[in-house]
Amino acid sequence: MSSVPNLAPALPEIFLAIIGMALLMVGVFQKKTDNDGEVRNARMISHLGVVAFVLTGLLVFTVSGPSLSTFSGMFISDPFAVYFKVLVLIASAMALIIAQDFLEQHKIAKFEFTVLLIFATLGMLMMVSANNLLSLYIGLEMQSLALYVLASFHRDDMRSTEAGLKYFVLGAVASGMLLYGASLVYGYAGTTDFVLLAQLFEHSPETGSSLGLIVGIVFILAGLSFKVSAVPFHMWTPDVYEGAPTPVTAFFAVGPKLAAIALFIRVMVGPFGDLVGHWQQIVVLISVASMLLGAFAAINQTNIKRLMAYSSIGNVGYALIGLAVGTEAGVRGILIYMAIYLFMTTGAFACILLMRRGGRMVENISDLAGLSKTHPLVAAALAVFMFSMAGIPPLAGFFGKFYVFMAAIEGGLYALAIIGVLTSVVGAYYYIRIIKVAYFDEPGDPLDADVGRNIALVIGATSLAILLFFVYPGVVVDSAAAAAASLF
Amino acid sequence: MIPALVFLPLLGAIIVGMLTFVDCNNDKAKKARIDKIAHWLTSGPLLVSAVLAVLIFNDVALNGNARTVELFTWIDSGTLDISWALRVDSLTAVMMIVVTVVSAMVHVYSAGYMHNDPCVPRFMAYLSLFTFFMLMLVTADNLVQMFFGWEGVGLASYLLIGFWYKKPSANAAAIKAFVVNRVGDFGFVLGIFTVYVMFDSISFETIFNAAPLHAETTIKVFGGEFHAMTVACLLLFVGAMGKSAQLGLHTWLPDAMEGPTPVSALIHAATMVTAGVFMVARLSPLFEYSETALMVVTIVGGSTAIFAATIGCTQNDIKRVIAYSTCSQLGYMFFALGVSAYSAGIFHLMTHGFFKALLFLGAGSVIHAMSDEQDMRKMGGIWRLIPVTYALMLIGSLALAGIWPFAGFYSKDIVLEAAWGAHSIAGGYAFWMGIAAAFLTAFYSWRLLIMTFHGTPRADERVMAHIHESPKIMLVPLMVLAAGAMFAGYMGYENFVGGNAEAFWGDSILVLPIHNALEAAHGAPFWVKYLPLAVGLAGIGMAYVFYMWKPQLPGWLAGQIRPVYQFVYNKWYFDELYDWLFVKPAFYIGRNLWKTGDGAIIDGVGPDGIAAATINIARRVAGMQTGYLYHYAFAMLGGVIILISSYMLFGGG
Amino acid sequence: MIIQGLAFYMFAAIAIASAVMVISSRNPVHSVLFLILTFFNGAGLFVLLGAEFLAMILVVVYVGAVAVLFMFVVMMLDINFVELRQGFLNYLPLGAMVGLILLTELLMIVGGWHFAPEATIVGLVPIPEGVTNTQALGMVIYTDYIYLFQAAGIILLIAMIGAIVLTHRTRSGVRKQRISDQVKRRPADTIELVKVEPGKGI
Repeated sequence: MSSVPNLAPALPEIFLAIIGMALLMVGVFQKKTDNDGEVRNARMISHLGVVAFVLTGLLVFTVSGPSLSTFSGMFISDPFAVYFKVLVLIASAMALIIAQDFLEQHKIAKFEFTVLLIFATLGMLMMVSANNLLSLYIGLEMQSLALYVLASFHRDDMRSTEAGLKYFVLGAVASGMLLYGASLVYGYAGTTDFVLLAQLFEHSPETGSSLGLIVGIVFILAGLSFKVSAVPFHMWTPDVYEGAPTPVTAFFAVGPKLAAIALFIRVMVGPFGDLVGHWQQIVVLISVASMLLGAFAAINQTNIKRLMAYSSIGNVGYALIGLAVGTEAGVRGILIYMAIYLFMTTGAFACILLMRRGGRMVENISDLAGLSKTHPLVAAALAVFMFSMAGIPPLAGFFGKFYVFMAAIEGGLYALAIIGVLTSVVGAYYYIRIIKVAYFDEPGDPLDADVGRNIALVIGATSLAILLFFVYPGVVVDSAAAAAASLF
Repeated sequence: MIPALVFLPLLGAIIVGMLTFVDCNNDKAKKARIDKIAHWLTSGPLLVSAVLAVLIFNDVALNGNARTVELFTWIDSGTLDISWALRVDSLTAVMMIVVTVVSAMVHVYSAGYMHNDPCVPRFMAYLSLFTFFMLMLVTADNLVQMFFGWEGVGLASYLLIGFWYKKPSANAAAIKAFVVNRVGDFGFVLGIFTVYVMFDSISFETIFNAAPLHAETTIKVFGGEFHAMTVACLLLFVGAMGKSAQLGLHTWLPDAMEGPTPVSALIHAATMVTAGVFMVARLSPLFEYSETALMVVTIVGGSTAIFAATIGCTQNDIKRVIAYSTCSQLGYMFFALGVSAYSAGIFHLMTHGFFKALLFLGAGSVIHAMSDEQDMRKMGGIWRLIPVTYALMLIGSLALAGIWPFAGFYSKDIVLEAAWGAHSIAGGYAFWMGIAAAFLTAFYSWRLLIMTFHGTPRADERVMAHIHESPKIMLVPLMVLAAGAMFAGYMGYENFVGGNAEAFWGDSILVLPIHNALEAAHGAPFWVKYLPLAVGLAGIGMAYVFYMWKPQLPGWLAGQIRPVYQFVYNKWYFDELYDWLFVKPAFYIGRNLWKTGDGAIIDGVGPDGIAAATINIARRVAGMQTGYLYHYAFAMLGGVIILISSYMLFGGG
Repeated sequence: MIIQGLAFYMFAAIAIASAVMVISSRNPVHSVLFLILTFFNGAGLFVLLGAEFLAMILVVVYVGAVAVLFMFVVMMLDINFVELRQGFLNYLPLGAMVGLILLTELLMIVGGWHFAPEATIVGLVPIPEGVTNTQALGMVIYTDYIYLFQAAGIILLIAMIGAIVLTHRTRSGVRKQRISDQVKRRPADTIELVKVEPGKGI
């Protein structure tokens, strides 16, 4: 009989799980005699949730340091995991902050939102720390299941429920693929543990010639690609982004992406790192396809949420460049890229959340016309986000792309870097079009003037982060370098 | 002192250039005040510069203190090392005098002439800017700096020809001047490249010292071996032809008369157009080593002299007559250079600068008096009304015709004698063409005088009633120039081309001993010495016969030799020829390239095409997004299969 | 041995055949029944492998609960499956092609299958002697796999929350008996004494 496992490395997750359940209890047993009471209750839980994320973040710092694994090697806490956990927690906290107003306006303010968000975040933290194909799958499912529910949280809205359903069904297909791949790998190697797998391939890299193993990896890749919405597993993204409630979309665009990318990196360079020659070509294909589709498909979009969906597809393509290189520099590039992506995207969605007219959300790009007149500060922030996404220096987005492309060039993947630059040009077209609409188009009916304090806070923080990144990039770059180093 | 001389005009130009932004709002008094400030802020520095130029001339040319003032490094790249430096030797000092004195006079004169113009500050700023560039050109220490000045004067010339930019003809003339000059400049640039290839340097000091070593060097051009020095010199001479309006590239000069008259006097008579002459003289250490180049220079110069003189006889626009006369006189200068009599060429350049500026400004005074009438057929009989102008014009014409003791006599004589003294075929050709041109020069000069001032008035009464002598501010500069036209020749003869010449020029001009045309000139026989004067007097006499005593004769003669007259009257059909040969095809090609080349092909495939393709792709990609769940699932499965298949087919690693 | 072999092929063949029937039968109720048949055969395969516990779980959970739930849903919701299948023939060629390619590839995989040389060393936990496999599972599930087990528990919790969030409604206009309210009721809450002035009526 084995003794009690070491719980210390998993402290943040345990804490968050307990908090999640505790808030569920609080929410359920809170007296809510009328509708107002329910809203008050939801708001309180939401605030507590933000606090919980902050506390979890602090706990994450207590476990930062050398790599520790526990639970029979299923769970690992290393600088890489810590890096992503911090990003995920920031993303979740910001999503929660900007969500509350929206939920109240749409009369769907329920405390379960916070609870589900916490559990989704828990799933992400587990994904980031997964060190076994099984724990990978469990984390993934926990995250996904919570997200399916969140996608259709606006249950009286046809689009929202449709989004949830689509996400659910396709997610199930993806999970199936992932599991199929995992079983193929298990069938070949006889283990699902990342460390043992890595050892196996390290000793005999020629074993990679086993077709079954590679196909298994491809299936795992497919399952992960679905979660990061890389082409050709992206089809759900625009529909779900459009249909889901906007704060949920904001969260979708950031949190799960972060976690799934982390998982992607860990699986590819961890157990299968020595087989890079076998999967590199596949990742290159996915990356190129994502960049191209992200750039071209976004051009015709009129709905800004759909546009952001394609934008996120393209961004994943850029991030995957770093993975395709398969080197430490490449991974560092992704880590920096994702950190910047987190702030850009959250900020952009916070701006989108302000697109209300007469109390109703509007989502067309053309509705932004005249924003510079009615909300000059918001328009400026939006311009910052869009210019950053387009990769205009000295904004942060430029550096994100820069590190990734540099890694590709150093790794000899010139074609990938060139395609990346070219698609950035195409991408710049639709990003800058948004700025053009906001600044130069004939204004229609003005958007609602009131900007919630929460949203203003998030917009301010993110736009400052993007603007001033170049002043002190060391924070991100150094920790990303350390995180990347822990994988190799 | 030297930098001050060069940069004072620039300073004036910049300050006055700012004044153009002052909005006068139809406030007459304010505008007058601004104009006055503009006028003095440009004329003042110029007058100072002129005084400095005289002092420097005394120091450098008369006392032999040639020097170079280094300002700062401009380009330092590989073996190419170019600095801004002001090289002042006798040649430069002479040019500085001509440029600053004439320019200062023109500045002052403009105060009167441009009195009613709405854009006086702009005009004055351009004039000063031009002067700066011209000084930059003559003080250049290397070919690139010279090219800087060269292009700068071209720019100023463009701006000033098109000064009245509301006039389409002025714009067209400005563009023409710019474009024709580009042809020459292209040659100049190629010449600079060739020199750089040969010498690995473009600094005058270096290339002049190394020139003897490269006398026999050959260079490969289009697969053929050519004498390198000849290639370089001919290319540089193309540049000179463009700027100095020599036969072939002369067409812009008459049209340039669209600019205000002071501009014509300054740029298109006295200074800029002589830049080519200056350049060849400056590069004499190179030209000396290429017999072919010198021969070409001689022949082109001689041809231009006679060619332009014939046209001058038939023109009716007072300024155009003088413009063709300028063209012709530049021809004289060039064939003087061609027979290695550089000093004679520069001597003629200087005297010509004075009397041609005088003639132009005098013509301006006439035009001013005639209420902006330029056609000589509508003038006549006004000499009593504007006696001072008449007298000044007479002095200018006497100088131009080469009548003793006016300046033109000395310079033209020595030029022709040098041509004779060369004892070469080209020299002989140039000599006889020069004699013929001298006859025609005298003839059209008096034709101009008689048609303008004598005979019965042909202007209408309103104009006649309004005729008045120009104000003092216009007449005083004319008098200064007249003094130059009278005495410059006599005073300069000894130093420029006489016994003292060698000491005067010092190292600034190189003449190989075998090219002894100038010495031979001094020993020319009696008939050579006095033939120019004789034909000049004959020309004057004929003009009196034709236009004073038998006014019906010109018409009869023109009728007798109709084709010849038409040919000459239409300026040898050069414009038509170029129009047919270059302009029309260029427009045709341009239009085709624009419509089909750029519009259909480049835009179609490039920007527009890519944009259209992008949008098309975008539409297709977006079309894939059907919204059906099973399509999405199928796409995922298809994706997996594609990935696996691609791995199986192409392998990995 | 031969009987086990025969049984394996029988279970396998029936499983595949009934799986095909699940997707090809016209009547959805038949589909669900074929699904149940597939589950049973799967359970049979598990028994052949010596995994009785999994076999029982499969029967109890999938057949007993999931499939019956399916049946309910199919019968309650009157879905017109004929309409849903209309595009079937249109997509058949493409689908068949993709399926064929996938099949070929899987065959190639199976054909070239081999285990990693060290696979047996690192993996394959032997079945402990002398215990039933229910016991064996129980021994690892709360020790080595506690992490996954607890996490799976949270997943189920999420599913529960999700189901409630998405479907639970507090309906208005429904009268429910709240005993505590009835007990707490005081006369003052319900009775209002009104003094009626004479002649005014109420």
